[in-house]
Amino acid sequence: MTLSHSITSILSQAGSSMSSGAADATSIRSDEFWMPAGASNFAAEIDWVFHFINYINYFFFLLVVGIMVYFVWKYRQKGREVYARGPNHNLPLELGWTILPTIIVVVIFFFGFKGYVSMRTVPADAYQIDVTAQQWSWQFKYPNGATSADLYVPAGKPVKLVMRSNDVLHCLYIPDFRVKQDVVPGRYTTMWFQVDEMTGEEKFHRLYCTEYCGKDHSRMNQRVFVLGEVQFNDWVTKQGRWLEELAKKYPDDPSMIWKIGASRLYARCASCHTLDGKAGTGPSWGNYDGSGDIWARIQPGAVHKVDGGKPVQTLIGPGKEYETPEAYLRASILNPGQHIVDGYGNVMPTFKGQLRDPEIDVLIDMMKNLKEFDAKGKYIGGATAAAK
Amino acid sequence: MTTLDARPTIAAEAPDNYLTFKRGLLSWLFTLDHKRIGVMYLAAVLVSFFAGGVMALLVRTKLLFPGEVTWMTAEQYNKAFTLHGAIMVFLVIIPSIPAALGNFVLPIMLGAKDVAFPRLNLFSFYLWVLGAICAVYSLVAGGFDTGWTFYTPYSTSSQAGGIIPVLVGVFILGFSSIFTGVNFIVTIHKLRPPGMTWFRMPLFLWAVYATAIIQVLATPVLGITVALLVIERAFNIGIFDPSMGGDPVLFQHFFWFYSHPAVYIMILPGMGIISEIISVHSHRHIFGFRFIAFSSIAIAIFSFLVWGHHMFTSGQSALMNVLFSAITFSVAIPSAVKVFNWLATLYKGSISLNTPMLYGLSFIFLFTIGGLTGIPLAVLSTDIHLHDTYFVVAHFHYVMMGSALIAMIGGLHHWWPKMFGVMYSEFWGRIACALVFIGFNLTFFTQFMLGSQGMPRRYYTYDQLEGMAETFKIYHHISTGGSYIMALGFVITGIYLLHSLFAGKKAPANPWGGASLEWQCTSPPPHDNFSKTPRVGDCYDFSAVRWDEKQQGYVVDAEAHAASASSGKGH
Repeated sequence: MTLSHSITSILSQAGSSMSSGAADATSIRSDEFWMPAGASNFAAEIDWVFHFINYINYFFFLLVVGIMVYFVWKYRQKGREVYARGPNHNLPLELGWTILPTIIVVVIFFFGFKGYVSMRTVPADAYQIDVTAQQWSWQFKYPNGATSADLYVPAGKPVKLVMRSNDVLHCLYIPDFRVKQDVVPGRYTTMWFQVDEMTGEEKFHRLYCTEYCGKDHSRMNQRVFVLGEVQFNDWVTKQGRWLEELAKKYPDDPSMIWKIGASRLYARCASCHTLDGKAGTGPSWGNYDGSGDIWARIQPGAVHKVDGGKPVQTLIGPGKEYETPEAYLRASILNPGQHIVDGYGNVMPTFKGQLRDPEIDVLIDMMKNLKEFDAKGKYIGGATAAAK
Repeated sequence: MTTLDARPTIAAEAPDNYLTFKRGLLSWLFTLDHKRIGVMYLAAVLVSFFAGGVMALLVRTKLLFPGEVTWMTAEQYNKAFTLHGAIMVFLVIIPSIPAALGNFVLPIMLGAKDVAFPRLNLFSFYLWVLGAICAVYSLVAGGFDTGWTFYTPYSTSSQAGGIIPVLVGVFILGFSSIFTGVNFIVTIHKLRPPGMTWFRMPLFLWAVYATAIIQVLATPVLGITVALLVIERAFNIGIFDPSMGGDPVLFQHFFWFYSHPAVYIMILPGMGIISEIISVHSHRHIFGFRFIAFSSIAIAIFSFLVWGHHMFTSGQSALMNVLFSAITFSVAIPSAVKVFNWLATLYKGSISLNTPMLYGLSFIFLFTIGGLTGIPLAVLSTDIHLHDTYFVVAHFHYVMMGSALIAMIGGLHHWWPKMFGVMYSEFWGRIACALVFIGFNLTFFTQFMLGSQGMPRRYYTYDQLEGMAETFKIYHHISTGGSYIMALGFVITGIYLLHSLFAGKKAPANPWGGASLEWQCTSPPPHDNFSKTPRVGDCYDFSAVRWDEKQQGYVVDAEAHAASASSGKGH
């Protein structure tokens, strides 16, 4: 068994026990014609209103089209002389079909209003999860500081999401829960729901971004797992200390932390930064312009340029803006607008408050050893990389 | 114009008409004739419709595939749907009925020689052209990918290079729309012929009048909004972008304060056309004239009070959501009233299923679906689930395309013989209408299910999560197939209409048996429409309409018509 194989098996274990739901988890589907599976406390009432309106709609649609088809057939033109005599108006009839729809819509409004009030009334004891949206990823942060890309919620407990955006408008939508709320930069928005049925880590509800947010809008999809109380508490505790747990597991080999931890952290960078030199929204971490990979190109003597033709090494070194290459990388993650790589725009959001220092360290370790990762950010080990 | 007095009122071979009155390109480019300006608008709108349609087909074809495709990147897809929406709204639907058909028909229906301000009319056409040039230039400058709604702060921060040019274009198009509105309001107030009281005015004119009021009152807000957005983008002055101290939700308020009334700028004139088509092709008096007329005005007024229903999930306060939801239902009532009145107009009529009438009946079918599916979107709790999904896409396509645009195509067929003096092939007209109708329903009805099952709008791919593609693929496939059928219908329409221009049978003055004034001048109309201002009776009184074998068309017995009007028999 080679090193890379053993790491791979460790990775798959780590994946199931520590980070997230099973990679092959399946989404919950519905056999119903109109609505997806209803999982939250709101679903039953909203579906009832939706179907109630639908039946009224079927009735009026069939009435209108039925009358139309019947009249068109019954009063079709016969011969060339065409003048036809019919009533010009009928006040009681016309008042009737003005007032009747008015009454119907008042009733419908009331049902919708009632459902909406409960959606906007958050129970005081709701479990709070902070949501940060940015182009093009979600981050969910739990009370103990743990974070995740997929949303985990405890079953049988009201859950409140407090949401903010780092850049443009986004919108968090979980069809199975019938909830949706825009995520607006510069303000907090909230939503709440309660789900009683557990999904475990084998099944999930879908979560979409439904406010157009640019290139990878359709890639801002995540999974929602509903766990039982014990399982959830266990998960959230481990999730909060996952790097520490790793360190505890491999006290003799600190490098195992980045070998195992990097791929999970890189997943949040992957939508903009490739590893194999291919163009993306941001510069590839791989060699894309002949100046080497991301670590090589910020070493002394490299020709990599930022801010419109300025060699990056004028920024890095003793007595310069950044003492070390590590300091430059760290600043690039926390304050990405400070210096812009030539050929790219100022689009990266800050990761301040989203990545802890040990996590940034893991990412920098990954950059230093990029040859040992495949194009998807999986650790493949030095031996395999050399053989390639 | 003494020569015109000598012209026989009904001539086998009209000596001259507005098409032949003057010749040469310049006589068109500098014309002040409302009919020629209407025809130029029509050509421009149809070219834009073609361009917007191609974009729609590209989008639909991409959606056959759940994942990425090599021939269209996410950026290109985003630009394509943005362009589709912007072209169809600003260059096609808003000007199509008022500026193209309205310009042609409105003064003739009034028995006038032209609109009140012919030069302003030509100016607004050239403003339209300038706006369209800006839109084309924006493509050269890098395109725009913001969606036609230009929501901030994405529109402030997007790297696409064509955003400022297209916003300038929208600003200019807004003025084109405002000038047309002003022109029509004054024309309707001042140039009605003797005998045409407000309640004898054709319902198409009532609808255009209500539209013109919205155009004049709402469009300036759009102008201000896009101007602020340009200022923010160009000079980094924070108005909407929170990173500069602005408020993105404010932009949505501004935008929908125009764009919701704009929905009625699009649909009201369509409703007007349907009132004409249903009555003329049923050959009987429109039912409930006053209810239809006042419902147009009611819609125009209510349309200003409901913009917040586009923003139920935007973060605006819950109280505002409740109020906007309640007020929104007020728009439903006048729309329902119109549908019932059209149905009652069919009762005891003499209904001929000509191509325009087929479009009219299609309108009732499609508008009923479009209107009824608006209810779950106006209801707060269900809208939360349906907002920004394909359910909304389906709903507004039933209203914007299935209703407004179908009415426009119906009106085009209704007045085509009048505009160009030729008849198109009835056979192909009916085939094309059937294809468009079937294709439309396949394309958009499936999108209701896509939406209620949760498919978000403006998605390039739908394969990221396990199970997504399986849920949505079948609907996308049917929808795309339907769009090809619809496209075929429109291509056939284009072919037989063009063919009729060169080889069509000569049209009689009054092919359908209408009683309003436009059917009482020759087809095509002479340069100044009527040699002397006609007296009018009730334009929905068909008792004086007779079949004339020699002309193969109908004639309106003017004496009998005026007599029945003055005796009040019409009502």
